[in-house]
Amino acid sequence: MASLTMYPDDERLAGGERIAFNLYIVTAVALFVLMMLLGLTMRMTQAKWLTVQSPLFYQLLSMHGAGMVGTMALVTTAVMWFFLRKYVQLHLWAFVANYVLFMLGALCIIASIFVGRYGALWTFLYPLPVRGFGLWTSNTSALFMVGYLLIGVGSLLFYLDAAAGIIKVHGNLGRALGLQWLFGGKIDPDHPKAVVASTQVIISNSLGILAGAVVLVMSLVNIFFPTVVLNALLAKNLIYWFGHQYINATIYMGVIAVYELLPRYTGKPYPISRPFLWSWAASTLFVIVVYPHHLLMDFAQPRWLAVIGQMVSWGAGFPVFLVTVFGALTNLHRSGIRWTMPSRLLILSMFGWAAGIVPAILDGTIRNNLVMHNTQWVPGHFHFYLLLGVLAMAMALMYHVIGSRVSAPPNSSADKLGFPLYLAGGLIFTYAFLDAGRLSVPRRMAEHLDSWTFTDKVGSIGAILVVLAMLYFAIRISAGLLKQPSAGAAGVSTADAAG
Amino acid sequence: MTRLQTVVRWAGPILWLTLALPPVRHALESTLTLQMLVQIPLLALVGWWLRPFLPDRAVKVLNAWNRGGISGLLLASFAAMIWMLPRTMDSALNVPWVELAKFTSVPVLLGLPLAVSWPRAGFVVRGVFLVEATATAFRLGWLYLVSPQRLCSNYLLGDQQLAGNALLAIGAAMSLLLAWKLMWGHVDVDGSHRRSHA
Ligand code: HEM
Repeated sequence: MASLTMYPDDERLAGGERIAFNLYIVTAVALFVLMMLLGLTMRMTQAKWLTVQSPLFYQLLSMHGAGMVGTMALVTTAVMWFFLRKYVQLHLWAFVANYVLFMLGALCIIASIFVGRYGALWTFLYPLPVRGFGLWTSNTSALFMVGYLLIGVGSLLFYLDAAAGIIKVHGNLGRALGLQWLFGGKIDPDHPKAVVASTQVIISNSLGILAGAVVLVMSLVNIFFPTVVLNALLAKNLIYWFGHQYINATIYMGVIAVYELLPRYTGKPYPISRPFLWSWAASTLFVIVVYPHHLLMDFAQPRWLAVIGQMVSWGAGFPVFLVTVFGALTNLHRSGIRWTMPSRLLILSMFGWAAGIVPAILDGTIRNNLVMHNTQWVPGHFHFYLLLGVLAMAMALMYHVIGSRVSAPPNSSADKLGFPLYLAGGLIFTYAFLDAGRLSVPRRMAEHLDSWTFTDKVGSIGAILVVLAMLYFAIRISAGLLKQPSAGAAGVSTADAAG
Repeated sequence: MTRLQTVVRWAGPILWLTLALPPVRHALESTLTLQMLVQIPLLALVGWWLRPFLPDRAVKVLNAWNRGGISGLLLASFAAMIWMLPRTMDSALNVPWVELAKFTSVPVLLGLPLAVSWPRAGFVVRGVFLVEATATAFRLGWLYLVSPQRLCSNYLLGDQQLAGNALLAIGAAMSLLLAWKLMWGHVDVDGSHRRSHA
């Protein structure tokens, strides 16, 4: 069972581990601010408050999409690493290799976008990357794809190292997921939830990376040997198989922070249960086969795949989210939780995930997808659970760690102001997207009709609030992390911290 | 050394000679699929079985250059890459020295480095190698299937398609096998690690 000690010794960051963790987090918060500024520029362009030429808009959209997805993966990898290393042996070299390869990949992507003017978006859907119509060249797209390959290799190294550690302790991945307890037997109360979630991520994301490695190299072959024409539908299937699992994994890595930290802030144990194991087992399977919901409107797609996409959309998201949110609420109920920054962010993340998943599942339903597909409903739902759900999970850990430096959960007056700013801004921003979706405003459009600009303007105002809050968080977190820990900072019990 | 051990020791050279026999050679080179997916893997197996012939001193020297088996696995990958190309397989049928190069390089530069390096490789290195091998099977299968023209002068388009499908099947089988082994099987993570430091 997760520790109730607020800052246990086995989580203390020292030496190389501290440097690596700080590198991850400081890089991530800086990238979040930058990518949000790009997002704000796009939203204000749609609102006609700014003028950005369309080719540049698509470059910004490509950078924002790839940059945000990548940074979210980077930061949630740090969350997984932070907790998993307590239960299994992880090698620092793998964690650092992931960071280095990520940065190299990011450099390729930035160069391809801002030097080569790549604008075929983060999904590099074939054949757009090779049809730049004079705006970008195929070589530029190749550089973008090499960037993805480097990032993928980094993730794979990290997951393989984590898999080795997990298998060494638990025998195999099935046992780590707790499959032996699904139908009976006494569940080991000390079986870490962090191990269960990490195992799911390792399984699904490794498969996703395999698909990505296939389709990226095939796209490169097509770039250099254009006579090799790819089947666009197959390429799209593989891209979404990879893309969906990659971004989905960020939730499942991020939620480890909730499992580990929430009981410390409520002071109540958060035991592992059979429904918990069932939900993770089911989601491991479902997450692998849910991606066809991105292709519901592709008329050439076999019908049975679309049906799987819809059915599994209902099954994939729900179990883990229901069990987690129910578990979190039970843990919170009558707990006497002290509201500090980490605890606020943890509860916000539960809300963001829960509320964001509902429009997602609605959109994964064929009937609704007929009208919602490619409208701003889609950025509405994913910004909801990424901004208010996953990013909040990651920031909860960041705040928790800066609390460990001074042995008290952070809760300054500026924090108390930053949090509602982020929440209000986030809600305004995401609801504006959802409402635009309701009005059938298409997504991924540089230029909007005048009649669409109301929601664009409201969204821009929300986004300004989010950017301001994030700028504050980024400075606060970076400064907090770079501070030397005070003597005897670890090992404070819940009671001490709450007192 | 028992008789069985002697036979096992000589299995590599015996297999090599068998594969070099003209009727066997012609039969295995009669289709692209057989050459690529049976003959070349068997030649690599010859190389794997040549491992006992390497003197201890040579192994020591090689090991110094082969930390975690990485250099050896890279060498094997490059050699495999060359013998995956339709062009080289095609030339092997027309140009005798290319055939000779195949019969020597596949055992010596692919099979043998694999045999030397695999036991030294840790879980992560093995994992990367296997994922990449699986991805390569899928990519190559896809390539063979979509190539608009005949890639070899000696083999027909239908044969090329068959090889493509077979490669996709191999990729799928490897994925399932790996998934099954990791999920339910027994993986000796420590064993490989210990050996890699030996
Ligand atoms: C202040 C915060 C943010 C702003 C202002 C913003 C703005 C935008 C805008 C305007 C779009 C294009 C919408 C359209 O298709 O019409 C977009 C797309 C997107 N955003 Fe954000 N965003 C923000 C935060 C985030 C975060 C935190 C993430 C994820 C971690 C994220 C991930 C994405 C992705 C993946 C896309 C889709 C790109 C595509 O369609 O290719 N954004 N964002």
